[in-house]
Formats: sequence, structure tokens, C-alpha cells
Amino acid sequence: MTVLDPSPARVGASGLRAASALGVSKIHGRGDTAVHALDDVHVDFAEGQFTAIMGPSGSGKSTLMHCLAGLDTVSAGQVLIGDTDLSTLSEQQLTLLRRDQVGFIFQAFNLIPTLTAQENITLPMDLAGVKPDQGWLDKVIATVGLADRVAHRPSELSGGQQQRVAVSRALASRPRIIFADEPTGNLDTATGGEILDFMRRAVREMGQTIVMVTHDPAAASYSDRVVFLADGRVVGELCEPTPDTVFDGLKALGN
Amino acid sequence: MIRLTIRNIVAHKARLAMTTLAVVLGVSFVVASFVLSDGLRSTFNDLSEEITAGIDLEVRPTSDFGEPLPLDIALVDEIAALDGVNNAVGFVEADENSVQPVKADGTTISTTGPPQLMGGWIDDPALSSFTIVDGTAPDELGEFSMDRDAAARNGFVVGQSYDLITPLGVMEGFDLVATTSFGDNNTTVGATLMHVSLDQAQTLFGTAGTVDSIGVDAEPAADLTAVTGDIQSLVGNTGAEVIDNATLTAEQQAEFNEGITLVGNVLLGFAIVSLFVSIFIIYNTFAIVLGQRIREMALLRAIGAEARQLRRSVLGEALAVGAVASAIGLGTGIALAQGLTALFAALGAELPSYPVILGPRTIVIAVVLGVGATVASSILPARAAASVPPIAGMRDGATVSGSTRRRLGFGILLLTAGLTTGSYALFGPSLPTLGLVAALGSAAVAVFVGITLTSRVVARPLTAVLGWPLGQMMGPVGDLATGNAGRNPRRTATTAAALMVGLSLVTTGYVVGESVKSSVGQLLDESISADYFIGDSNESGFSAAVADDLLSSGQFAALTGERVDEVRIGSRVSELSAVDLEALDQMIDLDVRAGFIPDRDATNVIVVHQDLAAELGVEVGDAIAVEFVSGFTASLEVAAIRANGAMFPRPLVPDQVFDDAGASTTDVFVAAVLPDGVTTEQVAPLIEELQATYPQISIDTPSEVKDQVNSEIDGALLVLNALLALAVIIALIGIANTLALSVYERTRELGLLRAVGMTRRQTRRMLRWEAVLVALFGAALGVATGVVFGWGAVSALPDDTFGATVTVPVVQLGVLVALATVATLVAAWLPARRAGRLNVLDAISQ
Repeated sequence: MTVLDPSPARVGASGLRAASALGVSKIHGRGDTAVHALDDVHVDFAEGQFTAIMGPSGSGKSTLMHCLAGLDTVSAGQVLIGDTDLSTLSEQQLTLLRRDQVGFIFQAFNLIPTLTAQENITLPMDLAGVKPDQGWLDKVIATVGLADRVAHRPSELSGGQQQRVAVSRALASRPRIIFADEPTGNLDTATGGEILDFMRRAVREMGQTIVMVTHDPAAASYSDRVVFLADGRVVGELCEPTPDTVFDGLKALGN
Repeated sequence: MIRLTIRNIVAHKARLAMTTLAVVLGVSFVVASFVLSDGLRSTFNDLSEEITAGIDLEVRPTSDFGEPLPLDIALVDEIAALDGVNNAVGFVEADENSVQPVKADGTTISTTGPPQLMGGWIDDPALSSFTIVDGTAPDELGEFSMDRDAAARNGFVVGQSYDLITPLGVMEGFDLVATTSFGDNNTTVGATLMHVSLDQAQTLFGTAGTVDSIGVDAEPAADLTAVTGDIQSLVGNTGAEVIDNATLTAEQQAEFNEGITLVGNVLLGFAIVSLFVSIFIIYNTFAIVLGQRIREMALLRAIGAEARQLRRSVLGEALAVGAVASAIGLGTGIALAQGLTALFAALGAELPSYPVILGPRTIVIAVVLGVGATVASSILPARAAASVPPIAGMRDGATVSGSTRRRLGFGILLLTAGLTTGSYALFGPSLPTLGLVAALGSAAVAVFVGITLTSRVVARPLTAVLGWPLGQMMGPVGDLATGNAGRNPRRTATTAAALMVGLSLVTTGYVVGESVKSSVGQLLDESISADYFIGDSNESGFSAAVADDLLSSGQFAALTGERVDEVRIGSRVSELSAVDLEALDQMIDLDVRAGFIPDRDATNVIVVHQDLAAELGVEVGDAIAVEFVSGFTASLEVAAIRANGAMFPRPLVPDQVFDDAGASTTDVFVAAVLPDGVTTEQVAPLIEELQATYPQISIDTPSEVKDQVNSEIDGALLVLNALLALAVIIALIGIANTLALSVYERTRELGLLRAVGMTRRQTRRMLRWEAVLVALFGAALGVATGVVFGWGAVSALPDDTFGATVTVPVVQLGVLVALATVATLVAAWLPARRAGRLNVLDAISQ
């Protein structure tokens, strides 16, 4: 395995925050029918950390991630990416923030079908009109093992290869933070493991910050820290997780 | 199943709205053309009855060909004296526009609109619907009357004197002694109706001692058959006929209806073009919408619905859309008829007011066409959707695809068949008009459908080429737009095809128009060396004094008038031109292939075109027998055979022949050439004086003639484009519609793009240009086919007149494509804006 060069830009002393949620609540509906998707959530995401967010369905983990990424608004509290309070940004500014400072990896449908893998990878930078760092790009592509497939369209790639393209895209512009929503949900165990490995390496060797929503304890075990959500609240944290400790943590939520 | 059908319609009514609009527009045009023609027909039928009211019988001369000789005026009294006849009067009527009053300001009433008519005044109210409004009926020479509305419109005042332009020349000092009314309401439909005394009529435009026809008012209890018999024996063997009121009215109505039916059929033709374009839109919509509902279809099949039931449900949706659209179209069609009337008025052809008639025939045809078009276009998508296997509902990414190779083969077949039929119709044996139109129409349809089926093969590469500059200019947004435009070649081809049809026909018009313009220009420049062309607006002829005046001035090197009359040669009736052959030869290159153009003094000779010579089987030196209307027969020796029939196309004879035969004495045309070195400035005073003396003639130089031809062609193209505008609008609606539907389809993908940082503006721009690329694809196909059609049409025209050169007006076509681009940007604006407004979160969660 090659060692990736650390990026000079974003590696921070640990303790610098990549993103935070401060007293975040998200309420659907009103009065008697009000539903608290998120209820007074406080959580920080330090730079250079790999965090997993877990919880049963309805726990608000996806809602939290959407709010952190600026895709959804909060009813109360603040969301910060770096030092920027997202509620102060217009829709246009939020879009640009996503383009320049946030990376996304979804469970499926990550890629634009009419673009090649290469074009998908450089898409956010192309949209910004910024020329990508070719050396960095080549390294990322080589690392995920896609060098011979970059000219292909998504329809010509396997599911695992498509996810690797998605990971490359997220890494290529070296964003402040990457959000991954069940990135291995559609993949078999071996392929999924490879993807998670890339993600962990990106964090360890490049100082990338990644926040991953998952329901799979095995996937969560790749992270540095697991945040547990239930009924819209943070109910627990686990550092240096292993599949077993994660599993126990989840079981405890059920009680 | 019916409940499901109705629920589906309601749920998807937004998506079906644009389809409905396309059908509404097509049906409206059909309805409008019927409303217009039915209304006009009703107006003119009523008018016909008014015109013939009171005339129980009419006696008129007949002839085998040409203008029949008038009746002896003595007959009038003889008929009046018959049993059962109350009164008989003689009618003397001038040809349309042959007598024109000169307004106080010296100008004449325009002859492009309703006609100016003059006749002898009839006193008997039983036989004439004209009444005096103000003044007294014209009785003496030098008096005339005018209908009150025409007088008011043009500033003619009772008691004043005016000049009249007549076939004999300008007659000064005619007193307007009365204004009249035709019937109670003076329904003139815009025409100018004038009268003079019978004696005056005979001198001005008739023949002394004769009348054109005789009107008979029978006694109330008379037996018309007996009266007819009596009259018949009176006129004996003069070849006159006696017709009753019903026949008279029917003839008048038929005369009016000829023009109305033509206009109605032309409008209907364009309406069908619009409906044809609608079919592309409807097919596309159903194909896309059903493609989005595959999972639902598969589920239904899985739980036990038969393919037949699914098919019927889809056809039921189409039926409902078609019915609603047709119903709306009936209403909007009436509005469109008003619009067309205004359009005609704006183009100079003022139509009379007409009642709005929505006859049963109109309703039935509109509904049949509207529903038929909608249902027919949905048959293929319905079949494809219904044949979805149940398993498709459980798998991701299932799509419906027809057998591509089969459609491609069918498309090539259609294309070949269309081109062959078209070539045959244009270049093969000549067909009657109806057959020609039908053949060319079906050939065009086959070509269009064939191209739609086959163009998908080039959709991706062509849009990639067209979109390359976009990528250069706009980066990833442009590349995405280009990729999107070509990613579904079949859909791109079908959407673009709708625009192709309209633009193709517009292009054909431009190519034919430009080609005719340059052919005529070439003709005027190369084959003719005349300096002046003199004609009048309606070929009814002007006095030979015009040519005489020019000749006696001595300023011209060569000069000839042209007199025209009908003759019979063998069994065919045709026309001859009497000219100064020697002078003509100096001005025009007749391209003589055999013999020589005889000099001025030659008698009883004829010059014919080689086509006619071949038809009659004659050569130089042979004699041709020619019979004139008067009965005079001449034997004319073929002096020369020519190949150029562009100018003076009729067989040519010297003036002497017409003089001997007593044929027409008026000129319809004069051509004159100045000697070398003499400029038009030098003769300008002479020309001006001539124009002032004869206001009704038009004196033009070759460049003025060219300008007139050009502006007439431009006018025709304007009308053509106005009628095709609707088809183009429907196509643009289709492009917007396809865009909107595909945005819905790609919601998740658009959400992804927005999530990774594409701004709203970038999204909107991408979608607008995606639409533009599809439109450009259609425009490219349209212009290409239009050029081919135009080239074919021009090549089929006779070489020596309009078909000499094929000119492709590149600049105008460029402007057309640019306009199509702008129009597409406008059409795509709303769907693109809505796409930009998509909630990112909702989109990616789909």
C-alpha cells in the first residue's frame, strides 16, 4: 500500500473543529402533532477524525447529517462548518459551500451517468472553474485502484467501482469535511471493506475529516468515534470502536 | 381499471397538460378553417340570392369558346311583349375594374381588394335591387351613380364631376348624379357598384345596339315553362339560352364558392400540418410518462392485470385527453378564426363580415381528428408499456425499449418510399392538382416519419458536435447539457422531429422563393432588353392609344403592344397574342430553333413554341387553322419555332390577323426599348405624361418589375410562415414538455448535482441549453430536408421561367435557425426554472 502524502492545507492540530451542531433541534409539524426529528443535539466533529453516527431508524441520524451538510434547515440551534454559521448563508452561498468545502458519498446513485469516471471525480472543481491538482488527482485515483477505468461511464463500472469513484470525488477537492450516507449499504462485504479502508486511510494519512452515517457495526468499527442517536438525541459516544463494542452500544439503545 | 385510468389522469394532469395544449392548438386550426370557409360561404350564398332576386328568367348568349357575342337589343321589347311576361330589361355590364372612377385627389381605388363594377341602370324594381338614396338615376350621357358606402368611403360627392378611366381611355367630366343602395342594407361586401344609363353603357363598355343579357320578370300566375319555350323560339338559332332563377343563383354561388373553397382547403392543409406535429408531441409524452410508470405497470401485471387491460387503460387516458382537447379546441378554434381574419386584413385581403357557424360537420371532424390523433399516437407506447414483464417491477433500471433494428429498417423503407413518391410526383407524368397534392403530401409525411425513425442513429454524434462549442464556453455545464441532449437518442429524435417538420416547410418556401426570385432576375437581365414594361393590374386591357402615343413620340428603338384573344386550334381552346413580331425580336431572345421571325409586314403567319409544335405535329412552313370567337377562321403559316417561352408565352401572330378577325383591340401589355445611348432620364417627361393620361396602367422598368416580383414573393412567404407558425409553436411546446418530463425523471440526478455544488443558475443554464441542442438537431434536419424539397420543387418548374436556378438563401436560413434557438430558450425557461428550484434534499432522497 502506498502512503499518501499529507495535504499541507487542512491537517490541523486535533481539537480544531471541522463542523459542529450546537443545540440543534429539528421539528416537523406543529402543536400536538409536532415531531422532534432532532432534539437539542450538541456534537462536535474534530478535524482529522473519522466519526460514525449510528442509531435505529427514526433516530434522526440522517436528519442530523442533512442539517450538518446544509441540505436541510434547523428549527433551533446552530450548525457550523468551520467557523461559518450555516443559518447566515443564502441558498447560493450554501451551494458554494457544499461545492468548495463539503464532499458527499451516498449509498447509491452517486454518479452522473453521462460523465466518465474522471469527469465525475473532478465535477465539483469543474463547476467551480478551478483546475484540479493533477498530481493529487493521480494519487487518489491510483490509490483507489481506478487508473485503468477512469475513461469509462458509470454504466460500465461495477457497484464497487462506482463507489470508489464516489470516494475519489469526495477526496479529490480536499474538502473540509466529507459526509457519507451508508456508503457501503449496497455493496458486498469484501468490496465494502475496501471502501471503508480507503476512507480510513484518507483520515489517517491525509488528515481528512469524515462523518459517516451507518447502521452496520462492522462499518462503524472503521471509525475513530461512534456517536449514538436515539429519538433525536445524542445518547452516547464510543471511542476506538470495535464491531463488538459497537454492537453492545446499539443493544443498549434498545433498552 | 376505469377507476385506475381516471385516477391516473387526475394524478398526472400536470404532465398531460402540455399534450392537451398541443392537441387543442391543432384542433383549433382545423375548426378555424371550417368556421372561416363556412361563414364566408354563408355570406356569399346570401349575397348571391340578393343579386339574382326578382329575375325569373335570364336570356343570355352562349358560345363554344371565348366571350359570346352580345344580344340584339331589339330582342328586349320582343320578349317583353310575350304572354306571361311582365317586363324585360337588357343588362349591359362592364368587366371587373375595367371602369375606374378617379377620386378627387387624382388617385384611383385600389384594385387588389373588392372589385369596381359598373352596369347600365335598370328602372324596374322587380328586376333590380338598386334604389336611389340621394339624387336622380343616371339618364343622360355623362352621368353616373355610385353605391352610398363606396361613395362615402372614397369621398365621392353627388353633384360633383369626376374622370372615369374606361377601356376607351380617360373620360372627363362625368357627373355623379346619385348614390344608390343595393337592397335595404347595401350589402356590397366592400365592392364599388356604379351605374350609367343604358345608352352610356353601350358606348363606354358595350356595343351599340346590343345588350349582354336580358332579364325577364314574369307575371305572377305565368307558366314559366311556356314562357321559356316562347323565348326560345324567339331567339331561335342565335345560340342563346334561357335559364331560371334557381340556376342563376346556383351559378353565382358556385362562382363565389370556388375561391372560398380554395382558401378553406389551403387553411385546412396547414391545420393538418399542425396536427401532424402534435402527434409527435403526444407520442413523446406518452412514451416518457409510461416509461416512468414501469414499476407500477409491472406491479399491476404481477398481481394479475392482463396486458390487454393495461393497454386499454392507457388508450383510455389518451381518449380522455383527446376528447377534452377537442372540446376546448372547438371554442378556441372560433377565436382563431377571428385571428386569421385579422391576419388576412393585415396582409391586405380584407374579408367581409361573416356569421360564426359551427356546423355538425365541423364538430365531427374536429373531434375525430383530435381524438384520433391522440389515440393513434398513444398506441405504440401503450403496447410497449403493457408488455412489461412483472419482474421488471422488482428490478432496478428496467426500461421499455422497442425493437430498435426493426424500427430503423422501417424508417429507411419509409424514407425511400417518400423520396420515390415525391420524385415521381414532381418529375413523372403530370398529375391533376388533387393527385399532385395528395402524392406530395404523403411523400412528405413518409420522409418526415422515416427521418424520425432513422435520425436517432446520428442523434448522439450530431448533438456532440453541435454542443462542442458549449463545452468550450461553459465548461462542465455545457458538457452536461451536451451529454444530456444525446443520452436518449430516440427521445431526442422524436422531440426534434416535431420542430423539423415546421422548419422544413419554412425552408422549402424560402428556397423556392429565392430560386424564383433569382430565376426571374436572371430572365429579366439576360433574355430581355426592354427598358419599359407597361401593363395594368387585371389584364382586362387598356387602350391601344398608349402604344400609339409611345410610337409616335419617336423616342423608342422598338416597341410592341400585345393583344390577346381566345381562339380554337383544332379541338383545344387557347389564347393568341398579336404583337409586332419584328420589334419583339429586337427586345427578346426567343431562342428560335427553326425558321425566322418575319418582319413587320408579314401577314397570316404564326410563331409557336416547340412544345406546341410537337403537340400539333407541325414544322416551319405548315399551316395551322385558327378559329376566332366571331367565327372568322384564319390559316396561318408557321414562320418560326421558338424554345424560350418565358416572355409572351402564347403563340404569336401579327396585328393584321386580329384586325381581320375583329378580335380584341385593347392591349394587355406593351414592351418598349430605347435606342443605345438614350437614357431613361431623357424620356422621363414623356413617361410621366403617359402615366397621367392613363392612370390605370403601370409603367415599370425591368428593375421595378424585379422589385415587384420580389415583394410579391416576400408577401407570399410571409403568409406561408404565418400559417406555419402554429406548427412551430406546437413543436416548441413539445420541446419544453419533454424537458419538463425529463427533469422529473432525473430528479435524483439533479439533486446530486446540486448537492455537490452546482448552483441554481448553472442548473437552469444546463437545462436550457440541453433543450437548445435538441432544437438545433431538429433545425439541422429541418433545413436539410427543406433544401432537398425546395431543390426538387424548383427543378420541377419549367426551366425557362421560374426554374432556372436553385438558390439557397443561406443568410435567411441562418436567421431562421437563430430565431429557433432564441424561441427554444424562451420555451425552456419555465421548466428550467422549476428544476433550479428543486429542493435538494427531497431530490436526493427519491
